[in-house]
Formats: sequence, structure tokens, C-alpha cells
Amino acid sequence: MQIIRKIFFVTMVASTVSAHAATEISYWLWDTNQLPAYKACAAEFQKQNPDITVKITQTAWSDYWTGISTGFVSGSAPDVFTDHLARYPEFALNEQLVDLAPLIKQDKVDTGIYVGELFKLWSKEGKQYGLPKDWDTIAIFYNKDMMKAAGVDPATLANLDWNPKDGGSYQQLIAKLSIDAAGKDGTSAGFDPKKVKQYGLVMPGNPDAYGQSEWSHFAVSNGFKFNDGLWASKFYYDDPKLAETFKWIVDAGKKGFIIPAKDCNENNAPGLFAAGKGATILHGSWMINWYKENCKFEVGIAPLAKGPDGRKSMFNGLADSIWMGSKHKPEAWKWVKFLGSPEAQKIVASYAVVFPAVRQDVDTAKEAFAKKGMDVSPFVEEGTDPKVTFLFPVTDHASDVVRIMQAAIDRIMLSGADPTSTLKSANQEVNALFQ
Amino acid sequence: MATILEYYPSVAASDHRVCAGDQCDRILSDFRYDRRDDDGRACQRYANDCLVRVSERICQLPDGLRLRDVGRALLVSHRDFTGPDARAPIRRIRPQIAMNTSETASNPWGHRIGLAVLIILAIVSLLPIWIAVKTAFTDTGAIYTSASALLPKDATLFNFQRVLGLANPADPRLAKSGLGKIDFLRALLNSLIFTTMVVVPQIFFSAMAAFAFARLKFPGRNLIFFLFITATMIPGAVLFIPNFILMKELGWLNTFQGMAAPYALMTPFSIFFLRQMFLGTPAELEEAAHIDGAGILTIFFKIMLPLHTGSLATLTILTSIAMWNEFFWPFLIGRDPAVQVMAVAINSFRTQSAAGTPDWTGLMACTVLGIIPVALLLIFFGRKVVESIQFSGGK
Repeated sequence: MQIIRKIFFVTMVASTVSAHAATEISYWLWDTNQLPAYKACAAEFQKQNPDITVKITQTAWSDYWTGISTGFVSGSAPDVFTDHLARYPEFALNEQLVDLAPLIKQDKVDTGIYVGELFKLWSKEGKQYGLPKDWDTIAIFYNKDMMKAAGVDPATLANLDWNPKDGGSYQQLIAKLSIDAAGKDGTSAGFDPKKVKQYGLVMPGNPDAYGQSEWSHFAVSNGFKFNDGLWASKFYYDDPKLAETFKWIVDAGKKGFIIPAKDCNENNAPGLFAAGKGATILHGSWMINWYKENCKFEVGIAPLAKGPDGRKSMFNGLADSIWMGSKHKPEAWKWVKFLGSPEAQKIVASYAVVFPAVRQDVDTAKEAFAKKGMDVSPFVEEGTDPKVTFLFPVTDHASDVVRIMQAAIDRIMLSGADPTSTLKSANQEVNALFQ
Repeated sequence: MATILEYYPSVAASDHRVCAGDQCDRILSDFRYDRRDDDGRACQRYANDCLVRVSERICQLPDGLRLRDVGRALLVSHRDFTGPDARAPIRRIRPQIAMNTSETASNPWGHRIGLAVLIILAIVSLLPIWIAVKTAFTDTGAIYTSASALLPKDATLFNFQRVLGLANPADPRLAKSGLGKIDFLRALLNSLIFTTMVVVPQIFFSAMAAFAFARLKFPGRNLIFFLFITATMIPGAVLFIPNFILMKELGWLNTFQGMAAPYALMTPFSIFFLRQMFLGTPAELEEAAHIDGAGILTIFFKIMLPLHTGSLATLTILTSIAMWNEFFWPFLIGRDPAVQVMAVAINSFRTQSAAGTPDWTGLMACTVLGIIPVALLLIFFGRKVVESIQFSGGK
């Protein structure tokens, strides 16, 4: 009995001693492409903080959020995790995220170093739920060979204009790039919309409630706005300007310039572009490497067309949040602070996967991409121009909004429902959520 | 042997029921026009009433031959039976032989159309599997331009290597954007463990339960069986949430025992199937054993189980295939990569490439690896499975 007691005592002491030796915090992310960059950050962080080790786990996107939610409930959630604008409002409402505002004040962290209003995106009523780490915008990826074959000068792509009535020079472009089975392009008289073998435009997926890559830039450049700002409780999906935009998209599809909506979803759309079914695709900066490496042809990047209100692109950004149930909150804050600092973001930027949120490191990313042979200036110019970017509409009840609007937009795109009335009833439903 | 014997009218005369293994052959009632079908007697029409070709070298033996003489007679069947008792070689099973000999000859087109339809159906069934195999062998860079080709472009084994974790980590091809990471060897191993953990206890306990329901008389047997049938009518999906909560309370989330628990004791199909088998065995065998002093356990282990090794084997194969492919329950319970089974790993791999498009070649490589064990099982034991299901269905 005495011996057992002694062994017990020694083990207890040993464990407490070792606990002081190194704290391990767990960190989750979903992007395999960014794993090497974050491992490098963790190595640097551990050099500066020898008593903290960071365990990075990468989980596939489809398992990530269920894993986080189950982790909240069962008590095994990671200390720090990559968070997303569409999810964090619910977590914040359920008090699962640590408010970083007092910690920022205490450590006097400079929050003015971030691009645009990224910092504001992650705050609610004075509380801060994440330090921004990267951002993305939308632009046009195009097939250089098809451009040349159609006789389009890439220099003209920087000055396209668009309007919902006749599509402007943008519609002219995608018409010219649409070729039917007989070899006629979309601008000639005998073009057959039913037998198109090369489409001018590929939509990057099924348009959803926010239409980040698919329609938000068209609509907002037409004068539409989602709501009155972050955390608003009233949406404006019934704005006629949005209905006009959808009408243009559906009509252009009927004319044979856009791949049919039923053939396109986020799984296969990039593949369709890589297979040569479309000449251009509207997509975000997170796809740059994928297009570079999976397309057999040269891929060019052009900025979005200018609508009646100018050029607009949705501005999205990720951040890292700390779980309220973490047992190592001070260490977790040190890690988050490090990740939000120019030093860490310079490391991430040099891997040329995403654009860092810290303004001064954006050029590092641009050069890293250039070294890989990609000229990403359209993305950077859009991202750093406050007149171009509009914020992702962060609100409560995000999952319900998505559900309602998805059904409505599917009806418009796939079943040919009338945009005006469908959007009006959907908007009423959405606004009822906030009452 | 038995199949040959049934074609001989001479054996019909002997009024003997000919059995080989689980298959019992009967003599067609047409051979003895004055008799009606009688269950268990020799005159019953063969359950699979089809025309079967008999080799030309098998000659019909003279009438009046006793069963024990058939063997000897067959041995010398190469001799021409030219005597008055000899008859022309039998080509068909039915006595309407003269009329039906040329059934194919009179309707060759029906035969050919049937063959054509079967070939088309076979192609339609096998083409998706072929596309999956072809994609697995295609180089990742070439997949988008050769998606509809029938042969792999730039055929390579690299997809299998990287999915099984056998690729060199420093290989530059691994740094390509859009590739997913997975430890599929681990997933296959987990599937193997899961399948074994489920199948072995399940067959054992189901056999015992089926024996109890079929042979033992105990108070409340019918009531319990009735409740059992009622419970099995509940759709599986309804049980997922209560089971999940139970597993969570037991602390068995993300463990093998958690995944195996709902299936390890029994499955309704297993108990029904085995109960049918046991009911079909004549009770005389057990009664004889009982008279000789055997207890229930001895009867079960020494008589019933050895008698039904065929059906137990069939059930094992069917259950193994079902458990190998099982997805939803392991998906709910076993998310951790250390206990992920093959189907869950493939699902997770689907979204592993961050760019949004699945890593098609890797995904197909995983799928092909998942199909191989089942395909092997069916190739080697397939006939047995089909025959046993056929037989139990025909009953």
C-alpha cells in the first residue's frame, strides 16, 4: 500500500512537472494546400515560445464543421480553429468563442494593419471573434488559347462593361467565345444555342444565397445591396435590380453563352473548364493554384467587368477563433496573436496559396505567385481597392437564410420561375426570421 | 452424378428420391403420366423446370436398371447399346423431347435477341465499374481532357501509391494543388477489423437464436418471435439517434466496439434465413440424436451446424459484403481517422482537396481498392451464394 502510494505521488508530481514543461494546443484547418505553410508558422512559433507546442490537424471540409460542433458538445473541440464568416455568428450566439477584444487591448495589438474592413467583419457589438488571416476576391479566369482563337486581345479584358439589359461588352465577349457544333460563334446569325460545344462562360457552381463567385458581383455592380451592413436584420433580396441580374443570367444561358445550370455544380465546374468546355470561368483567388496546375492550357486572369455602379467583388476573409472551452486560453491567444501578425502572414504569403490579411505582406504573396508564373494583379487590385470590395453579409440565422434562398434561386435557375415574384416571397420569409 | 441420373426414365421406375448435398432432384411427373405431384416423393417435378442440354455421350440406359447398377452401367456407357432396349441419346429433360429438340432451331432469332439484350445489360452494368478503374489508372493531370475515353491516358500506378501512403513524400507530384491526403491502408485495415468483429459473433449468435426459434419449445417463444418481427419492421433510420445517444453515454464514440455494437449480436435477415434452414431439416435426425442421449448443445454443435455449413457459409459471405460496404452507422460513430472504415474514408476524401473539386483519380483509386475484396469473394464463392439464395428462394 505504501509503495503504491509512493508511486502515485511520484506520478502526480511528474505529471505536473511535465505539464509546466510544455503545453500542447490543438489547431484545426481544412485546407490541405495551406498545411505546409501553417506547419512552418508553428515551427517559428515554437522557436519563440519553447514551452508551447502546436498540434495541427487537417480535416476534410465535409467533416470539419460537424467535427467542430460535435467537439463543442462533447468537450473535445480544438483550442484554436480556422473559422468562417458564415459559421461564426452561430458559434458566437451560443457563446462558444472567446471574445478577443479585451486581450487585444491588453496586449496593445495593432488592428490597423489589415486590408480594408476585414477586422470589422469579425466583430459584433464591440466583441472581436477572430484576427483576420487572409482574404479573397473574385475575377475571371480565361483560356488563353481560346481567346487567341477567337481573336480577342487580352488587353481589352481589363475594361469590360456590363449591364443587365444587353450585357454590354461583357456579353459580346462571352458570345464571341461561345462556339456551336457548326463552328459559328455566338455573335453570328446562325448560332444554335442547343448544340454548343464551347461555352463562353462557366458558372463555378450552383448559385446560392450569397453568390460569392456566381452573381453577387453582377448584382452589386447593378446597385443591389444585401442589407444595411454587418449584423443587419433586414435583407433586400426583393430589390428589382437583383431580379434583373438573374434575368440576364438566365437569358444569357438560354442564348447558349453560359453552361446550363443543371450541368454545373461546385464539384465539376472547374473540371469542365479544365476539360475545355468553357472559355472563361468566374472564380475566387483560392483557386489560382488549382487552375494553374490542372489545366493543360495557359490560364489568364482578368478583372471583373464594370457594371453600372462600377466594378464590385465580394470580399471574404478567414480568421482563427479560440474555443470558449479551451483549457489553455493564454497559450491559444499567443498562437492567434502570432498568426495575425505580419511575421506569420509573411510566411503564409510566401507559399503562394492565399493572400494575407496584413497589408504589407500582400506584395510577398504577389511575388510568390509571380515566381510560379501567375500574374495575380487583378485579384490584388480588386482586394486593395475599397471602392471595389463589398463585405460578405454576416448576419444571424445564416443557415436558415441559405436554406430559403437556395430553394428560391434553384427555382429561378433550374425551373425557369419568374425572378421577381420568387425573390419577393423568399425575401419575406428571410426577413421573418429576424422578427 | 445426381443430375445425370434424373434424366433416366429407368431411375424413375425405382421410386427413389435422389439427393446430393442440399440439392435433391426429382423425377418429372411426365415420365409417369398416371401419378400426380406428391411432396417428398420421387414424382415431383424439378423445381427448376428448364431445358438442359445433356451431353451426347451420355446414353440412355435400359429400363428396369436398379439404382445400384447404374454406376456400373454408366462406366460402360461408351459402348453402343444396340439391343432392342437401347434408345437414342437424350438431349432434353422433358419427354416432349421429340417436339422440343429443335426449340432453338425453330426460334434462333429469339435466342439471338435474348443474347443481345443480355450483352447490352452486361455492358451497362459493367461500364461504370470500368470507368472507375480507368480513372484510377489515369494520371491526375490528364483526367480533365480524357474523362470520356475508354482507356486510361498516361496510365500510371501513382494514384494507388499515394492513396495507400506508399509514395515518396519528397515526390514533386505530391505537391500539386487539388490532391487529397488520405491514409487508405489504415482505412482498409479498419474495414477488415470491423467486418470480422461483426460477422463472427453475428453468425454465431444468429445461428443459436435461429435454432432456438426453430426447434426449441419454451414458454413465450411465439410472443418473443412476434415482438422480434414487429421490431424489425422499424426502419433503421429511426434507430440511429437513440443508438447514437447510447453510444455517447457508453463512451464508445470513435471506437470499434461502438461501430460494431448494433450489428454484432444479430441481424433480422440472418435469424430468418437460418431459421428457415433449420426448419427445413427433418426433425428425425435430432430425434434420433436425442434418443441416443444428446443434449441440446450437442445437437446444435454436432448435428445442426455441420449439416448447414453451406448456408452458414452463404450467410457469412453475404454479411461480410454488407458490412464491408456499410457506411452510415460507421459515419456517425467512427469519424476519427484511426477507426474510419473504407466507405467513410472515401467520403471524407471526397472533400479533402480544398479547391472544391474532388481529387477524382485518387477517389477512384480508393473506390477500386474498396471493390477488390468483394469482387474476389464473389469470383471464388459467387456460385455458392447464388445457388443458396436460389434454393432458399425456391423453397
